[in-house]
Amino acid sequence: MNTRAAPFEKVLVANRGEIASRIIRTLREMGIRSVAVHHGIERKSRHVAAADEAVEIFGETPVSAHLDGPQIIAAALAQGAQAIHPGYGFLSENAAFARAVREAGLTFIGPDAETIALMGDKISARTFAEAQGVPVAPSVIATGNLKAFISAAETIGFPLLVKAAAGGGGKGMSIVRSADGLAEATRIAASEAERYFGDGRVYAERYIERPRHIEVQVLGDGLGNAIHLFERECSIQRRFQKIIEEAPAVGLRGPLREEICAAATRLAAAARYKNAGTVEFMLGADGRFYFLEMNTRLQVEHPVTEMITGLDLVRMQIEIAAGMGLTLGQSDVRPHGHAIECRICAEDPAHDFLPETGTIDYLNVPSEPYLRFENALRQGQKITADFDPMLAKLVVHGADRGQAVERAIGALRDLAILGVRTNIDYLAGILDHEAFRAGDLHTSFLAEHASTLLPALSDRHVLEAAIIAGALGIRAFRDVAFGVPQPYASMDGWRN
Amino acid sequence: MSFTLNLDGEQVRIEIRKRHPKLVLWIDGQEHVVGPDAGSVSGTQLLDIDGRAVRFTRAGTDDRCMIRLAGRTFELTLPDASALGRGADDHGSEVRAPMPGTVVSIHKSAGNIISRGDALLTIESMKLQMALSAPRDGVVAEILRQEGERFDKDDIVARLVDKNRNG
Amino acid sequence: MRKIQSSLSTSSTEFRRREAYHRDLVTQFREKQDAARHRRQQRDLERLRRQGKMLPRERIEKLLDPCTPFLELSSLAANMAYDGDAPSASCITGIGIVSGKEVLIHANDSTIKGGAWYPLTVKKIVRAMDIAIENRLPVIHLCDSAGGFLQLQSELFPDRHMAGRIFRNQTLLSKMGVKQLALVFGHCTAGGAYVPALSDYNVIVRDTGAVFLGGPPLVKAATGEDVTVAELGGAEMHTTVSGTCDYPAEDEDDAIRIGREIVAQWQVAKKWDCQRDTPEAPAYDPEELYGILPDDIKIQFDMREVVARIVDGSRFHEYQPAYGRTLICGFANIWGFKVGILANNGVLFNDSSLKGAHFIELCNQNNTPLVFLQNITGYMIGREYERRGITKDGAKMIMAQSCSRVPKFTVMCNGSFGAGNYGMCGRAFDARFIFGWPNHQIGVMGGDQAANTLVEVKLNQMKSRGETINQEEIERVRAETLRAYQQQLSGYYATSELWDDGMIDPVDTRNALGIAISASLNAPLGDAGYGVFRF
Repeated sequence: MNTRAAPFEKVLVANRGEIASRIIRTLREMGIRSVAVHHGIERKSRHVAAADEAVEIFGETPVSAHLDGPQIIAAALAQGAQAIHPGYGFLSENAAFARAVREAGLTFIGPDAETIALMGDKISARTFAEAQGVPVAPSVIATGNLKAFISAAETIGFPLLVKAAAGGGGKGMSIVRSADGLAEATRIAASEAERYFGDGRVYAERYIERPRHIEVQVLGDGLGNAIHLFERECSIQRRFQKIIEEAPAVGLRGPLREEICAAATRLAAAARYKNAGTVEFMLGADGRFYFLEMNTRLQVEHPVTEMITGLDLVRMQIEIAAGMGLTLGQSDVRPHGHAIECRICAEDPAHDFLPETGTIDYLNVPSEPYLRFENALRQGQKITADFDPMLAKLVVHGADRGQAVERAIGALRDLAILGVRTNIDYLAGILDHEAFRAGDLHTSFLAEHASTLLPALSDRHVLEAAIIAGALGIRAFRDVAFGVPQPYASMDGWRN
Repeated sequence: MSFTLNLDGEQVRIEIRKRHPKLVLWIDGQEHVVGPDAGSVSGTQLLDIDGRAVRFTRAGTDDRCMIRLAGRTFELTLPDASALGRGADDHGSEVRAPMPGTVVSIHKSAGNIISRGDALLTIESMKLQMALSAPRDGVVAEILRQEGERFDKDDIVARLVDKNRNG
Repeated sequence: MRKIQSSLSTSSTEFRRREAYHRDLVTQFREKQDAARHRRQQRDLERLRRQGKMLPRERIEKLLDPCTPFLELSSLAANMAYDGDAPSASCITGIGIVSGKEVLIHANDSTIKGGAWYPLTVKKIVRAMDIAIENRLPVIHLCDSAGGFLQLQSELFPDRHMAGRIFRNQTLLSKMGVKQLALVFGHCTAGGAYVPALSDYNVIVRDTGAVFLGGPPLVKAATGEDVTVAELGGAEMHTTVSGTCDYPAEDEDDAIRIGREIVAQWQVAKKWDCQRDTPEAPAYDPEELYGILPDDIKIQFDMREVVARIVDGSRFHEYQPAYGRTLICGFANIWGFKVGILANNGVLFNDSSLKGAHFIELCNQNNTPLVFLQNITGYMIGREYERRGITKDGAKMIMAQSCSRVPKFTVMCNGSFGAGNYGMCGRAFDARFIFGWPNHQIGVMGGDQAANTLVEVKLNQMKSRGETINQEEIERVRAETLRAYQQQLSGYYATSELWDDGMIDPVDTRNALGIAISASLNAPLGDAGYGVFRF
């Protein structure tokens, strides 16, 4: 336990749900007062209850309220907070917001606005990475001349990944396998990029078949010093959305791992990176890896890194933001064991993962020393279409990957979120899959094994049990089954 | 007297055949002996069904139950009893004004997904304001009055449809 | 408690003969009952279907909780009246479970003359309401009646316990805090309109239900006003304008659903704490009752054999087994409820009368309900017995029985004659429920005895006039007496006149008593104390 004085007195958390809860937890441990922001619809949310203070924010939609930078800064000033932690998503990678926070005299717990802008533009980020000797996939940037772009793209060779320069998080990307589809894919990508990111620039880069998504957690002090906290494997993705992440990466040979982590650290140091960030790579089966992008924020899956290193990343973020620099050296960081995270989402795997709405009628959270259940859930909570369908993260640690997998499967079995359909059993199915256990991972894993991951048609016994136990859970039926007094209950349908 | 339950869209007929010494339920032609269900409607427990111990977690309410067992999640509902015997009313798809008045504000628009109880419009009548809520889950098909517009008792002010699951 | 040791031989010729005889009687009983319950004119059934109505028994089945018992009362009421025009007296009454609550159901049968109330219909309904009051049972009325049967109005309207008593009982029940629900499936006209009006809750079916003190024809005749059924008393008007009815129902299924929901809100009555144990089926087969009962009413049999086929585990703790042996007294459980049983093994003597009175006192002291299994021809008569005080002893037994604070239940198993009926808690003594077996007879004295008595009188007359004994005349008197008596002695006549709460198959006795005892526990025990015992 750290006995230093709290670096800030009060921090506003510009986020919601599980990440807001998680950040507030560290703030509490550090003795820092927390301010939560919330839209009216989430007034009763757990992250609001957990914070010391709460401010209601307004907007046409709940999401737009959380994207209202000026309003949030005003709230921080009004509450007397000294710093703002943006979490992930929302305004966390908004350079203008970071700048505005700084200009308001507050500390932005994250990188400098300039760094955010640099890495936020995928093309400039790539260029910068290449300059630092970090391998990048062959690519070509679209200019005004569509024909020239297409012929240049063709020289890279197929398959190609067409991406939005200003995009990220897997949005605005598509795989093109032959010259036929390239023109159309480019047009669509450009128009989507314009619509979603306000920037229609696209580029195409070589797509590596069955790549593994490997990313490295880095921390920098803003003065050119950076360390890494090892890598994470996030290959289990559905439509470019990660759903299972683990640390360390499966079966990565020592030298290769060192090379990847070193490349990431080199990049962060060269960028004079401040605070926490993640450098993402694509790793091919041939052992060649390429820079994908750098995320200038805390990532959703950061807990797996925390579990294998025993460190609190949010705490380190706050310390760096407070000017305390890097409190650890690279040699102080040692990994032990293996950690796996599963993203629990309100979606129905049996109906193409359509987002689900409903109420959490019953919540049972497993509790073990080796697991973390990051959430802001409450029994009785309404799940609406207003926010992202991710409900919670289940993170488990084990002495090795095998134990982590077993513990994760067990935890998913004990976890119960009823009242809204979730992907809990689908996740358990993935963990239990032969190929996953063997570590045979790549970003098309779920698509490739889709048929074996589909919920099996239930056998008769299972259906009967579901009907019986389920019927007895319906109060109207249960009352009729059990509500008949004696001696009537023993006389069945006797008539005289 | 048999109950018709809905299991994930499929109709199931269930009857009570005996209560003591054990509950015997008949489901679509087969009888099953059920051990004591000592737990509450929500929670994790074991139940003996035809001699097999079944472990499950369920969340039950008055007319439905979500249940998870054997690695799958099912939803059982007892179809809205008030829909039975009312044939023509199309499962409460019309929201009617309970008395004459004016529309104060509209909270939902066509295409919005709504849950039972969600406020659709606020109306005013006799200097009192009240909210008209959705009688069931679904999607708003149309709101038939604008803010400031008057309506009579029993006028249809909103229409709902079922949530479309195909896309 | 020890099990009764049966000394019966179920393979003896006597047993077999008796068994065949009683099975035959029961078959006839079941046939009569089925006819009374189900045989109707085709045109009446069609009329109901056209009106979109369910049959009354269909309504009851849907109302009751699934897979639960229903004890129907007086199913053969009016079976020997009105030329059989009013089977079950045009109504169905009984006790069952609705939404987990014990209730009494009273349903009009509109398949019989539109559900019109005959005098015995009124008597049956009044009796049902008396049962509700005595046992504090909530009532559900299923209303669908054309009103009083005008041709017999003088027998159903003016007197104290006629139609008005139904409504008086309703008000009393309500005052006692016992709930009533009325489901209006058809017309409730004139007095009948008061059934839903005096019920705490009522539901009315659109289009077919109507409530009015006078129907359109009466209104037209009285004031010249032209009005439709719907305008005068339909669901829409009564649920939105007059407030006479509480819930409109779209159809009969909807009415039943609403009714069940209403009952589900009711608080379950607290029963008084009767001694209870785990129920156990009798060790002996109840069907053996058929072979135990004699095929001639004058023949004696051992009532212990009957008890053994009714009580839990056939276990019986006999009280004073060696004294007053013509009356068997003892404790047993029926469906787990501890009861005190009195059963006749012959006429009542001084000692058996005293034993009976004492045993009844013990049961009252111990809060043990009483069950009387009647097979009684009367108290012993004769000079010796009068000198010993048989009249006083019989009076003491009647005093103890009549002033009992515990609930009483009577089953007429065979004979129920004369003063013996009184001591053994006949109808007049307010048993909560009284049932009769198909073979039973009831009268001031047995047919043969009556015939013999009249013959004796005739002989004495002839002697005093100095006439010669005319054997033919004697036989004629005997035959005529018997014939007149036979009809009125039969259990069918008794149940037709509602002198009991129903004829039941002997093997149904255990379940009937189980339900009856359970229902009776909703009312608190009466006041303790007796009048003066003439010692």
